[in-house]
Amino acid sequence: MAVIAAPREHAGDRRRMTFARRQALWGYLMVLPVSLILLGLVAYPFCYAIFISFTSRVVGDPGEWVGFANFRYLWGWSSFTRALQNTVTMVVVSDLLKLVIGLGLALLLNEPLKGRGIFRAVVLLPWAMPGFVAFLVWKLLLTPIGGGVNLVLTETGLHGGIIDWLGQRSTAMPAVIAATVWRGFPFWCISFLAALQNVPGELYEAAKIDGASAWRRFLDVTLPAIRSVILVVVLLSSIWTANSFENIWIMTQGGPSDATMVFPVLAYFGMQSQRLGEAAAVSVALVPALLVLVFVMTTLIKDDD
Amino acid sequence: MAIVDAGRPYPASASNRRPRLRWRLVAIYAGLIAVSVVLLFPVYWMLTISLKLPREIYRLPSLWPETTTLDNYRELIDERGFLTNIRNSVVVAGSVTIVSLIISSLAAYSLVRFRYRFRGLVGRLILFGYLMPTSLLFIPLSIIVARLQMGNSLLGLIVVYLTFSMPLSTWLLTGYFRGVPADLEEQAMVDGATRMGALLRIVLPLSAPGIVAVGIFTFTAAWNELLLALIFITSENKRTVPLGLQYLITGDVFLWGPIMAGAVLSALPVMILYFLAQRFMIQGMTAGSVKG
Repeated sequence: MAVIAAPREHAGDRRRMTFARRQALWGYLMVLPVSLILLGLVAYPFCYAIFISFTSRVVGDPGEWVGFANFRYLWGWSSFTRALQNTVTMVVVSDLLKLVIGLGLALLLNEPLKGRGIFRAVVLLPWAMPGFVAFLVWKLLLTPIGGGVNLVLTETGLHGGIIDWLGQRSTAMPAVIAATVWRGFPFWCISFLAALQNVPGELYEAAKIDGASAWRRFLDVTLPAIRSVILVVVLLSSIWTANSFENIWIMTQGGPSDATMVFPVLAYFGMQSQRLGEAAAVSVALVPALLVLVFVMTTLIKDDD
Repeated sequence: MAIVDAGRPYPASASNRRPRLRWRLVAIYAGLIAVSVVLLFPVYWMLTISLKLPREIYRLPSLWPETTTLDNYRELIDERGFLTNIRNSVVVAGSVTIVSLIISSLAAYSLVRFRYRFRGLVGRLILFGYLMPTSLLFIPLSIIVARLQMGNSLLGLIVVYLTFSMPLSTWLLTGYFRGVPADLEEQAMVDGATRMGALLRIVLPLSAPGIVAVGIFTFTAAWNELLLALIFITSENKRTVPLGLQYLITGDVFLWGPIMAGAVLSALPVMILYFLAQRFMIQGMTAGSVKG
């Protein structure tokens, strides 16, 4: 990989220096635009968000430094604690469901079955669908009048009455999670499937000769082989789910009465009410958790190299 | 498999095994078909509702449409100005994709082929950007964009979209370039090609499928974005597709027919692109993210 970079034996010291220096210069030049954009549009706003969260900024007035006042306020605010609970619930429950369904389906689709290609294409569908479209469709499916879910339940005789899935507190969160899993699990399934296909078949044959049961083969061969992919997918997806805005915004806007409120929606409402300091504090409250996930992810990736 | 089984001390007899195998197969297919129905039903519902008359949507809902009509599409385009939304989205997503692809292929190439002091740091910055949630950035970005006088403009939207498109495309492209053998470029350079020449004539053509896939991925990410558009676009004639559709649901009456017509129109091109590029994308997402 680093062949070009390796010093050439026949070259003199001076030439080697210039070569190394010249290629470093090229390297810097080519990576400069991305670095500047990332510094200006990601790193700077990130620090800026943290700064704003410690001020009493509102639209039109930069405000002043207020220390942890915004965070203390959030801690006593019921919408914020709801958002915290809901975000944790959503991440944990949907991660678990996506793991079980995604891995299960990936194992099935890894078998030499007839028509496997068709099923794989079907699994890709929700992932290929734009998120806002998927959640619009789910909002429609779950509406009391004209919604497909109630219709299917009545037609199949499973449930007679009409359920306002997104309109009542008890069903809103499960309904939103179901839609989120529907849209999100294909990414897991397909990542696992790609990882499974890289597991050498000889390992299974060897395990079979040793008399290992299917379950033991799964535990001793499959799981260790795809461990790192599972971890990366779980981490990535947790970050995405914890910060997903459109699923909640389109389906419930956080309602009914905060039953599905999550951080991004709360921050958006905060911004609409022009209280930027508090709104920023809502998003910044997630930063410690985010940093832990990012740290785990970077160490993971380093281990893999 | 048969050979391995024959080598066992007590091979299971054929008559014992076959029914079990067959039942297992039936169970697998039943499971797969059940999952497929759950996956396909929403897509089917989107299509049928978009083709239904209002009375069939609300008053007499049924699983199958009785009369099909293109009225919803007509209303969406003629009365709701959906073509403007599409045009805006094409402009924004197209520009974001082109800018991202050019700048990030340079960066990805540099990260893969050159050795210099801050390489690790830049790599980490890109990963950091890739994982950075938009919900954390939108407040400071709104202040910065207002300061730059780019609020409520497609240009402003293009600039803020670079916050997610740039790390995404650099991240994926790094994975692809790593797969292009260095020997070929070296050979070309020994034969007198310049570094740029080698990049343009060897590396780009070899990673073309990957670049196209990353382009599609970047395009759809920008096409699908809702939160930033919601914040930065205020006038109706600058609304992008997701924005236009979400404003249809916040009205008093849900216009499900036109909304689903819009859903079909905005999902279809993206979904076709996805299926064309999915093979490369899956490789990129997993290989790129694990070994990145």
